[in-house]
Formats: sequence, structure tokens, C-alpha cells
Amino acid sequence: MHNIKIACENVSKTFLQKGDTRVDVLKDVSITVRDNEFVVILGPGQCGKTTLLRMIAGFEKPTTGRVLMDGQPVGGPGRDKGFVFQSYMLFAWRTVRGNVEVGLRMRGVPKAERRVISQQYIDMVGLTGFENHYPHQLSGGMKQRVGIARAYCNDPQIMLLDEPFGQLDAQTRLYMEKETERIWLQEKRTVIFVTNNIDEALTLGDRIYTMKDKLPGTLCNCYEVDLPRPRESTDKEFLRLRKQIIEESELVL
Amino acid sequence: MSHYQHVKVHRQRALVVLPIVSLSLFFLSWELVVDFGLVPQTLLAPPSAVVKMFFAKLTSTAPDGLLLQEHAWISIKEAFLGYFLALLVGIPLGLAMGWFRLAEGLARPIFEFIRPIPPIAWIPLTIYWFGIGLTGKVFIIWIGGIVPCVINAYAGVRMTNPVFLQMARLYGATSWQMFRTVCIPSALPMVFGALQIALAWCWMNLVGAELLAANGGLGFLIQSGRKLGRPDLVVLGMVTVALTGVIIGLAIDRIEKKLLAGMRR
Amino acid sequence: MTSHHIANEIHHVVREKKPFSLVDDLLMSRWFLYSMSVILFLGIWYYVVYIDVFGRGLCYPHEVITEIIRLTSRKLAGKELWEHAWDSSRRVFIGFGIACVLGIPLGFFMGISKYFNAVFNPIFNLIKPMPPISWVSLSILWLGIGEEPKIFIIAIGAFVPLVLNAYNGIRLIDEELYDVVRMAGGSHMKEIWEVSFPAAVPAIFAGLQIALSGAWSCVLAAELVSSRSGLGFVIVQGMNTGKAAMVIAGMLLIALIAYVCSFCISYLERKICPWRRDLSTH
Repeated sequence: MHNIKIACENVSKTFLQKGDTRVDVLKDVSITVRDNEFVVILGPGQCGKTTLLRMIAGFEKPTTGRVLMDGQPVGGPGRDKGFVFQSYMLFAWRTVRGNVEVGLRMRGVPKAERRVISQQYIDMVGLTGFENHYPHQLSGGMKQRVGIARAYCNDPQIMLLDEPFGQLDAQTRLYMEKETERIWLQEKRTVIFVTNNIDEALTLGDRIYTMKDKLPGTLCNCYEVDLPRPRESTDKEFLRLRKQIIEESELVL
Repeated sequence: MSHYQHVKVHRQRALVVLPIVSLSLFFLSWELVVDFGLVPQTLLAPPSAVVKMFFAKLTSTAPDGLLLQEHAWISIKEAFLGYFLALLVGIPLGLAMGWFRLAEGLARPIFEFIRPIPPIAWIPLTIYWFGIGLTGKVFIIWIGGIVPCVINAYAGVRMTNPVFLQMARLYGATSWQMFRTVCIPSALPMVFGALQIALAWCWMNLVGAELLAANGGLGFLIQSGRKLGRPDLVVLGMVTVALTGVIIGLAIDRIEKKLLAGMRR
Repeated sequence: MTSHHIANEIHHVVREKKPFSLVDDLLMSRWFLYSMSVILFLGIWYYVVYIDVFGRGLCYPHEVITEIIRLTSRKLAGKELWEHAWDSSRRVFIGFGIACVLGIPLGFFMGISKYFNAVFNPIFNLIKPMPPISWVSLSILWLGIGEEPKIFIIAIGAFVPLVLNAYNGIRLIDEELYDVVRMAGGSHMKEIWEVSFPAAVPAIFAGLQIALSGAWSCVLAAELVSSRSGLGFVIVQGMNTGKAAMVIAGMLLIALIAYVCSFCISYLERKICPWRRDLSTH
């Protein structure tokens, strides 16, 4: 059996909005993620799934409960975790290579070495030849490839992806899902992937957590997806699971 | 309440206290610097003297011949005349330049030629043309205010979503109909943006115009303060200019919000 | 057939319907209209002078050219024309430089530190609504009629937009961009260096443009009020001697230099912010 890499124990989060308005975003969420496991958190918009991810990343502290990584409470954000943002968050003033190298520059890695490492990840995400392009010259899918390469470049133990393909068109999205799977199989990491797309969840996840669609967000169910990779969305078992999840979570798709 | 939230509340308190401290320190040091004679009274008036002067000028015409509110009224009148004329000419011109090739072709070279000339530079010519009365100042304010109006209205039309235009064309709209029903409404936010910019410009040029050629108005008050060697009058004039500018700006902001809210409905 | 083809065809049909296409094309050609515009403008100018609307307040356009040529070949108050132009420009450069050195860091720190902002923003808000030209009188009281008051006014006039733009440039940065740096294990200093600074550069450049045009207005106001050199002085001389041509010549030269300066700044921006290359050309 694999070790438990990440554990959220009864995590709740309350935000204070302007003055005294309290907004309960998450209530009593407990999840576990094993080493090198691909876990998908599936939920509709506005259900607190991004907040959960941000707490695992260390951007936010849980109001009650604990977020553990390797049995230790998660500190602030750091390079042991990689984060891929929904809206890319690329530095417009840096080229593709400059964006991928951000983490390496922080660590003061010498330039020559930086080149070698960043090139490796740029090649991995399939952006060879675009090293000197600026983000505004790239398409949405290419931008998110840069985001993924940037996160991998820090050599993190866990990867956190926050609806990374939410802004892409359906076809690019499908392609990027395949790419994500390929990259993950190539560079195994513990991955937590947040999405609102059930097919995406079923294509990628070893396990799927579903969340209810109102605030405060709570967990609904957990599904093991024990299908061989790469998966086909027309596979019988795939469709059966899809139907089951939809029925049990009343997801509006 | 968790420790985390306590820290936050504490921080918020500091953010409220600090501005008060800094403002009081600013005024206190201004007052004391003059009171203790570090800066002679002939160069800088302490805040207390300015406040005193303010109340005195409300009822007394000395030493420059007009009450403070009369100065302010002259300035506001000039600024608004110039401002409205600028809007009246600038916005339609900019809109037309954005849509009609003929308008753009005819107006653009002249506009580009006049634009980089600072409005202040027109003062000597306007003194020739109109004397130092109202007309000259209105002209200068107008010429300064027209620039942001034209630029914003032009950009607003140019930034119209082409899909809307294609849709209008599909429905068989004529050029004029497209201009009226698609371009003008979609340019409105930019046009409203121009209102504030133009106002700030107008107000600034007004002071310049009054400093150089006037016998009344807030700029004239500042200038006569200098000529009489009365820093309290100068500072009072500057403060009144700033305050009036802020009040007008707020009023326009309010009107703008009301109008735009009405349009969204 | 793609929609592109359909669109082209419709376009083609509409074109063919026009009967006087050649005349229309000429009328609609940009350069024809531009030249018409200039001719019309000069024509009205000539006519207005011819019927003597403004008396000695206006001269023929060609007189302005001859006046500029005349001014280049003789001295005015002991200085040649280019020396006057240089005097004005020097004042602008010095005042503008001072404003940059003080204003950009101030706005920058106000943007990145809440506490710094809490201390300086109220004082800045006192100065902000005062038109810079209203400082002319105070600066003459304080600094006399030499170079210092003029530089002071220019610095004040350029200061406000510079602070404002640097400040807003920082404030409008997407918070999540900082998260990228935090995630990569960067310190707070790294956040500022990697994100705040480069992200604010375009806004700062926009501030430079506004500040520069403000600076030219200010130097002119200062020179008109009291000066013994500079292009403002040339204009005043023209006014005092009743030479409209000289006044207009001064105005034109100022506009020309201001235009060149603003062009240089946009050139610099394109060099420094290559990632905005495509945005600025649109």
C-alpha cells in the first residue's frame, strides 16, 4: 500500500468579508491522497474547491481542522508544491523560457544549468521552438503548457492544478487532458486536480472526490476509478461510472 | 475568534490611525515651521492664517477687490462655459471622426497639428483676439478640454466590437443607422471617461489663463496674492482651487453614475 | 465555402453597384482628404487674415515661416533661437527628472506597502487636486525669478501623474501573480522584484507621457509669467512687440519639441517593454 501523502482532517474555512459578514466556504472536509496518486476534486462552480486547493498549497490557513503533508502540517507556499492556475498567471514580461525558469531563478540556479533544466520541461510539454515567445503570442492551450512546465520545473513533490483547462475550447481541452496524462505517467507525482468537468475527472483521476454545489462546500462521495490508461470515453465501464456519479451528485452538466 | 483574525483587526486599526497621524504631523509641522520663524511669514502662511484669511475673505473684499465666493463664481462660470463648449464640439467631432472617413480625413490633420500645443501657449494670442475678458479664457479652456473629448470619443467608436457592426450590416442597416445605433452607444463608456479627464484639464488651464490675463477669478486671486506679497492669499487661492475642483469632480462622478445606471437598465 | 469567402463576395457585389467608383475612391482616399484638410485650414487662415478679423493678432501662415527663419539668424535678448529652445527643454528635463526620481519611487512604495500608503497617501491627496500651474505664484515667492522656481513648478506638475500611475500600476496587478512567486519559494523581496516592478512598467510609462505634456504646459506658464529666456519668453516678446508671427512661431516650436519628446518616450517604451509590442501598434 502507498503512503498517505496529503491528508485534510475536518477542514473548515470561513472568510470575513468587509467588516463582519462571515462566509462559510468549506465545512468539515476530509480527504486523503496517496503517494503518486492522481486525485480529482469534482464540483460545480462556487463550491469551495479552489479554496480547498489553495489551503493545501499553503496560501490560506484552515479556520479549523488540519492540512497535513507527510504527517506534518502544511506551512506556507513553497517549492515542494507546484500550482497550475486557472487563468494561467504567466508573467507577460517574460518569454516562455523566462516563465518556466521563475522557480530556478528564485533559488539562484546558475544560468547555464537553468537553461538545461527549463529546456527539459519545455520539451516535455511540447513547446520546443517557442522558448523566446512572449505569452501574448501563444494560444490558451500553449499558455497552460507553460504553466505546467513552470510548476514541474521546481521539481515539486505534489502538483496542484486548479481547473487548468477551464478556459480552453473543448477540443484543445481533450488534447490537453491526454497530454496531462502523458506527462504524469512520464514524471510521476502526487497530483490533485480540481475540475468541474466530469469527463475530465474520469479520464484523469485514480480517485474522484465530488463536492456538493452550495456553500459551505462539503464532500459528497469518493469513487475509485480502476480503469486502464489511456481511457476511452466510450468505454462501457467509463460510461457506467459517469452515470453513477451524475445520479449521485445531481451535477448539472 | 482565531488568532489570525485578531492580527487582521489589529492591522486594520493601524491603517486607520496612520493617516490621521501623518496628516496632523503635516499640518502641525507646517504651522510650527512658520510660527517659530524657520520660514519667514512673507514666504509661507501657516494653516491657521489661511483659515483666518478664508473667513475674512468671505465678507471682505480687501485686498484684491472681490469676495472669495465672487472669485470662485467667476472661475466656475468660465470653466463650465469652456467645458461644455468642449464637450459640445469635441464629442460629436470625435464620434464622427471615428466612423466617417470624410470627417476623419478632414479633421485629423488639423487636430494632430493643434494637439501638441499646450493650451497655455494660446494665451498671448487670445489676449490679442478677445482681450482679457471672459471670451479669451473660455477659448483657452475650450481648446484644452476638446482634446481628451475627441480622443476618447474617437477611440470609443474605433473600439466598437466588429461583430455588432457585422450584425447590423446583416440586418441591412445603413451607415448612418449603424453609427447611431451601434457605434454611439458602445462608445459611451469611453466618452464618459473623457468627462473627468476634460474637467481636470479645464480646471488646470483655467488657473493658467487667470494667472496671466484676468481681473477676477481664483487664479487672479493667487496672482494678486503674489504681487502683494501675501502668501496667505496665495495659499488660500490654491486651496480653494483644489477644493472646488474636487467638489466639481465628485458632482460629475455622481451624475455620470446616475446616467450610466439609467442606461444599463 | 467558408464564411470568409461569402463575406468577400458580398463585398464585391456592393462595390460593383457604385456608379462613380473612381471619383468616390478619390474622395474617400485618406491622403487626398488629409491634403484637402490642410489646404482648407490654410485657406481659412489666409482668408481670416485677409478680411482682417483679428487685426494685428494674426498673420499670414507664410509669415510664420519667414519669422522662424528670421529668428534663427538673429539674437533675442542675447540668445539665439535654439538657445531659447534649449533653455526651455533643459528646464523641462531637470524638473521632469526630479519628479521621476521622487515620484516614481513614492508611488511604487505606496503601492507595495499598506503602511507607507497610509502615511503618504493623505498628504499626496492634498497636493493632487491643485493644478500645478497654481504653484507658479508660490514658487516665485519662494525661489525668486531664476531657474529654480520654473524647475520647481515642472517637478510639481510632473510629480502628480507619475505618483498616481506608479501607484495604480502596482495596485492593479493580479494578486495571483504574487502567488506564483510564493509557490516557487520566493521571498517578499522576490515578489516585488519579479512581479511588482515589471508589471508596473507600462503604467509608469503612461504616467511619463502624461507628466511630460504637463511639464511642457508648466514650463510655458512659468516662462510667460516671468522669464528672460526660453520659448515662453520668445512668445512674450512677440506679444509685447505686437508680432503675431513671433508668437505663433514660439507656439509651433514648443509643440514640435513636445511632440518629439513624447515620441522618444513611446520609442523607449517599445524598447523596454517588448512584450507590449503588439498592443501598442494596434
